[in-house]
Amino acid sequence: MKKPHNTRFFLIILFLTAIILIGSHVPALAHKVIIFAWVEGDTVFTESKFSGGKKVLHAPVVIFDKDGKKLLEGKTDNKGEFSFKIPKVTDLRIVLNAAMGHKAEWTVPESELREAGAIVEKKSAPEPSGPIPVGLSKEEVQQIVIVKKKSAPEPSGPIAVGLSKEEVRKIVEDSLDKKLRPIVRMITESKNTKPSLTEIIGGIGYIFGLMGIALYFKNRGKKR
Amino acid sequence: MHISEGVLSAPVLVTGAALAVTGISVGLKKMDYEKIPEAAVLSAAFFVASLIHVPMGPSSVHLVLNGINGLLLGWLCFPSILVALALQAILFQFGGITVLGVNTVVMALPGLIGYYVFGRLIKGKNRLLSLAAAFACGFFSVLLSGILVAGALLSTGESFITAAKLILLAHLPVMIIEGIITLFCVAFLKKVKPEILGGVYEEAS
Repeated sequence: MKKPHNTRFFLIILFLTAIILIGSHVPALAHKVIIFAWVEGDTVFTESKFSGGKKVLHAPVVIFDKDGKKLLEGKTDNKGEFSFKIPKVTDLRIVLNAAMGHKAEWTVPESELREAGAIVEKKSAPEPSGPIPVGLSKEEVQQIVIVKKKSAPEPSGPIAVGLSKEEVRKIVEDSLDKKLRPIVRMITESKNTKPSLTEIIGGIGYIFGLMGIALYFKNRGKKR
Repeated sequence: MHISEGVLSAPVLVTGAALAVTGISVGLKKMDYEKIPEAAVLSAAFFVASLIHVPMGPSSVHLVLNGINGLLLGWLCFPSILVALALQAILFQFGGITVLGVNTVVMALPGLIGYYVFGRLIKGKNRLLSLAAAFACGFFSVLLSGILVAGALLSTGESFITAAKLILLAHLPVMIIEGIITLFCVAFLKKVKPEILGGVYEEAS
């Protein structure tokens, strides 16, 4: 009795190992979906992915406010991205509904929006969006401002170029947003964690541990 | 195939949990000393299988292995799959704890059905027929799981036809691969260890 049982066990183990081997050659991936959102200026950007890095394409995204009221909805584009203007300064709950029962959400806290919201309000104030007096392009001014920022950490006084403090702030914000974008992206990527080998092996360990417990109790029952 | 947390409505969750509890209690009653290691190994196989990705269109699709699980374990596939799903939910955040019942039923029930429908054919003497039945068992288990997912999603307002179409299309390659895996497993077990297929039967029938 004992011997055939052992062989059977051994065979299934073989089968299992084979599966793990196949698994290690194929990018591990499974059913989990995440959405990540960040604020840039007056716009909220979102990115949606399946665990493993596949983008979620053309999936509906719905934005709710703090009280669960629907503010707006949209669809991810073919890069898995969706962006929208801040509809209201409140906690925004962004819900992604990928098909087949997959759902994910992300909350943008009010504080994060407030920072951006300040800019929005300023924007609505009359803004000299035309050519900048000195005759430099906006890009060039940005360059200058960055250089200035670097050399003088606190250029709070009026700047030679003749821009107001607010305008400088705006330009700096803009270029910071642009520069930080790759970093934000990197954070998004790192949030998108695949199940690690430790977790996989740990899970298998748990299963065999449970088997041990089950066998222990069955065995105890037998002896009585 | 895993339904995420917060998608389904309470009645569906409760129904799923109730069905799962029924299946698990029957399974635990049928679980004897000999079967425990087998159930554990298949549970581990199921646990790992979900990490094997089959590239398919815009979605991510993975192996399920519920056909072979049900075929070898019968009712025991309920506890076996529950354990694997619970660990996947805790460790990988696939599915979730509240949807555990529904997910268990979605995966285990087709396995059990495959066991009753194809089990006898697979056990039979006719080699060709039994291999064909093995393929069909793997294939239809995934198909049936897809249909069950679509059915569960019905309550969320997602149209059954759309959801079902999407799931079936995405899982077509998985069905074929699962069919082939089941076929090879059965062929192998028949050659080396035929009683593993037959043994289950005598107890159940």
